[in-house]
Amino acid sequence: MSNTLKNLLHSPKFMVGFILFIAILLTILIYPLFNPGNPLEMIGVGTFAKPGTYISLYDATSSQKETLKIANAEEKRIAAALSDEDRVKMLEWLSAYGVDVTEVDASNTDAILELWMANYNPDASIKGFTKSETRNFRLIQNRITELMSADTLIIYEEGAEDSKSKIVKTDYVNLNAIANVKTLPLGTDNFGRDVLKELVSAAGTSIIIGLIAGSVATVIGLTLGLLAGYLGGNADEIIMFITTVFTVIPGFVLLILISYSLGQDQRGPTIVAIVIGCTSWTWTARSVRSQVISLRNRDHVNLSKLSGHSLGRIILTDILPYIASYVVMAFILQVSSGILSEAQLSLLGLGPKTTTTPTLGLMMNWAMLYSAHTNGSWWAYFPVILTIACISFSLNLMNTGMDQVFNPALRD
Amino acid sequence: MKGYRKYFTKKIVWFLITLFVAMVLNFVLPRLMPSDPVAAITGKMAGQTTDTAAVQEIYSRFEEEFGTNKPMIVQFLIFLRNLFKGDLGTSFSQYPRKVSDIISSSIGWTLALQIPAIIVGWIIGNVLGAVAAYKKKGWDKIVMPVTMFISNIPAFGSAVILLYLFAVKWKVAPVAGGYAFDMIPNFSWAFVKSVIEHYQLPFWSIVLISIGGQAIGMRSMSIYELNADYVKYSRFLGIRDGKIVGYVFRNAMLPQVTGLAMSIGGSVSGALVAEIIFSYPGIGSTMYAAVTAADYPLISACTLIITIMVLIATLSLDIIYGFIDPRVKAAQFDA
Amino acid sequence: MGKVMLEVKNLKTKYITRFGEDVYSVDGVSLKIEEGKSLGVAGESGCGKSTLALSMMGYYFPPLHYISGDIIIDGQNISGMDPDKVRTTVLGSEIAYIPQAAMNALNPTMKIIRFLEDVIHAHEPKATKAEIRERAEERFADLGLGKEVLDRHAVELSGGMKQRTVIAVSTILSPKVLIADEPSSALDVTSQKMVIKMMKEMMEKGYIRSMMFITHELPLLYNVTDDIAVMYAGQFVEYGTAKEMVFDPLHPYSHGLMGSILVPEEGTRGMNLTAIPGTPPNLKRPPAGCRFAERCKYATPECFYTAPAEKMFGENSTRMYRCLMSEEALRAKYAEEGGASK
Repeated sequence: MSNTLKNLLHSPKFMVGFILFIAILLTILIYPLFNPGNPLEMIGVGTFAKPGTYISLYDATSSQKETLKIANAEEKRIAAALSDEDRVKMLEWLSAYGVDVTEVDASNTDAILELWMANYNPDASIKGFTKSETRNFRLIQNRITELMSADTLIIYEEGAEDSKSKIVKTDYVNLNAIANVKTLPLGTDNFGRDVLKELVSAAGTSIIIGLIAGSVATVIGLTLGLLAGYLGGNADEIIMFITTVFTVIPGFVLLILISYSLGQDQRGPTIVAIVIGCTSWTWTARSVRSQVISLRNRDHVNLSKLSGHSLGRIILTDILPYIASYVVMAFILQVSSGILSEAQLSLLGLGPKTTTTPTLGLMMNWAMLYSAHTNGSWWAYFPVILTIACISFSLNLMNTGMDQVFNPALRD
Repeated sequence: MKGYRKYFTKKIVWFLITLFVAMVLNFVLPRLMPSDPVAAITGKMAGQTTDTAAVQEIYSRFEEEFGTNKPMIVQFLIFLRNLFKGDLGTSFSQYPRKVSDIISSSIGWTLALQIPAIIVGWIIGNVLGAVAAYKKKGWDKIVMPVTMFISNIPAFGSAVILLYLFAVKWKVAPVAGGYAFDMIPNFSWAFVKSVIEHYQLPFWSIVLISIGGQAIGMRSMSIYELNADYVKYSRFLGIRDGKIVGYVFRNAMLPQVTGLAMSIGGSVSGALVAEIIFSYPGIGSTMYAAVTAADYPLISACTLIITIMVLIATLSLDIIYGFIDPRVKAAQFDA
Repeated sequence: MGKVMLEVKNLKTKYITRFGEDVYSVDGVSLKIEEGKSLGVAGESGCGKSTLALSMMGYYFPPLHYISGDIIIDGQNISGMDPDKVRTTVLGSEIAYIPQAAMNALNPTMKIIRFLEDVIHAHEPKATKAEIRERAEERFADLGLGKEVLDRHAVELSGGMKQRTVIAVSTILSPKVLIADEPSSALDVTSQKMVIKMMKEMMEKGYIRSMMFITHELPLLYNVTDDIAVMYAGQFVEYGTAKEMVFDPLHPYSHGLMGSILVPEEGTRGMNLTAIPGTPPNLKRPPAGCRFAERCKYATPECFYTAPAEKMFGENSTRMYRCLMSEEALRAKYAEEGGASK
């Protein structure tokens, strides 16, 4: 036993998987301590706020101002105001106007601006542009001139005629002096929830679903496999018949049927996990059975039989310890496939009904429902995919590592 | 030949039994619902429409099709009879369209997408796995971990990532559908071109899904075979390594056919979910729409069709395997 | 004295484990087999006898590595030869091998004749399929294996049949030396006998011209081979004719080994049948002194730090043993013990 553990510690695959999994678990446990509260709290009113740090504009305008003269502030401001598309459009206009722009890179604001200011003529009629495009060029021009000319932003108080406060381009406030700063490393989702907070909580729920599903599948598979393998004869025939039938009928289909039949009100995360477990036990049963058959006629088992030990005792003391490693490996794979099943089910809209805890599949489902994938809000789904991949990658690595330790033929 | 006949008969009997069990499950599971299943099923749907007259009509029609007022066994016989007539009931959400009509318009898309994609994925996966097993050094250290990580990205995940990269960011592929939305299916060149363009992303994402698992399976199989006694023996008889590698890969590849048969259920479910991401007009999207609209007859038909497709695929693979691997024949003689 | 078919001089090879450790499993073995003769090698499992068989092929691939020594087949030194030349001109045609697990030695999905084609083509690229079939049919018939076997897949053959097929395939090119690694240990008694008979027949018919037979069953060797060597921890500890080795073993290890195998006489029943307690030394770090010292009941402190050299003795000095003690001293010890037990 200790030798096996030593070998496992020497297996780089197992260790990488193990450390990765522990790191994920620790994040799930520790992150809520720094960012407590309901993970489904809708902090944003709009949808899909980009990742980044948000500062309260109100606090910023009322904070103590300092005047700082920073050389390229103007240029940065214009650069930030021009989108990538604007730049491309500007270059298009310039080249259509006859300016040589082959040397100019779209990210070089300085160069584009210089050429633009020197050449742009709103009245020039250039063939090949539609009316709306021509209008768009004027808008770009207006924005640039506005940014370059206006020095002051004036904020009016409601109802008052005279200005309340003036903001000059060279006004700066200290970030530390602003009372309300919120960092959203992964932005917000379609409901305006903090994606990172939601993700950490969802990963936790999904792992629990995986563990429950894995346990259910392992218990069913192990029991049936042990009985079929040890008893043999008719019991084996019947159990293997059932197992073969359920191996060929896709578990996913059963999952859909059962989940739909259950109805949404019955479908809590635990129920979904149990249903997943009930549809995925077949290959555990198969592999346990074949292991047991190879053990059944070993000397120590026969000795136990001759000594009149009970079935339960023989299985517990003479068979289980020998197949324990296979069972653990099967369990690990079941956990990972349980997490994946939940995600697929949720994507179909048959996921757990929940108002308090998100799951990885539900996050994915919400993101798809609100078209995050086509409107470029990558932060709403990409971290979810990455999390699922990392969890199942770590579990599979552990499994492969164990497989190599226990089945030396696979060693490299 | 006797051995073969036994093998094939066994496989076909199994196919029929499993098909029957699948039908029973498809029939029984929704009827296990507590309370009146017809009310529960149509009630879900009724929540989404305001036309009470239509709901009433659907309700009565469904009650008749579902046949709750008859004993269970009669219900089952009616279910079977309708099934063999190709009558899968009437859709709720696309009332009064027949379910069989909806299914037949989407099944072609699914078959045309999944069969080639799974085969291509199987081939690429096996080649990668074999190479990784043989060229242990670089491949095994770099390609294998990467392949393993990729294979752990869920099917819908890789679909979304491909969609984002190719359709949203680089705009080299269409975002959704099986053909341009403003076209009417016909055999013009423009339409075929549109279909091919729309085919690419779903196709490659399913290929990607199938590669990982197959590569890993093939690699273990090949490593196992490379350590087999016949390899050492053949070497000591002076046979070239290249030739021996040929033996090994043939032997490792053959069980992969069964491997594909065993895993096809899983691959298909992943691929169906990928269809949803691309709004591809196949069974996957149909089922998604059915679930969203609480269209029970359509869901039930989709699950049944998927099961039948998987069963047929498994049976065909088993039969092919029986022909190409002499070990099957030998096992039948032993038994 | 006949022509020497195989001569091995001080052969050393090692295994490299996956943790990068060296295991010196063949550590200075020398032997000679004359034409028409056979040598048996006996030893416990793990003593290096299977590795010795692999090492003598002169064709090394990981994890086995060549260190030093010479392998001379019919006057031609094959150690240090280009591996590809060894493959095409030596393996199978000069020296052939029958593996330990002959059950799995044949590719299960290949017809025997296809495999024979590959074997012969590796050496005679110009041979046509018809020629090969003719040769194979003739040889198989001669060895009492029906020619229908040629069109079977390995999986369709029974255990004993598979074993005999392997032997026929191995010797299809009539090699000068045949190395058989426990070819009969997995078989039932009838098949075992058939295998042994077949090997003797091949020697008589000249399909092979000398043989080395490796086994852990000593009584088997007495009936099959002319000479016997006993191997322990990567080295030969004693060497002599079969008769001498069985009835007059000298080295304490061979003495113990014979004692453990011969049927115990009346009165010794109940004695532990594994007459030599303990386990062989770890060949990752071979002991500095005598390798058997730890298990030897006659060991003196000197044995633990002085490695014994090979010593020749007997009539015409044809026997060898590797022990610090003199022949007389050992015989005295055995006589004393024999007397005490009676």
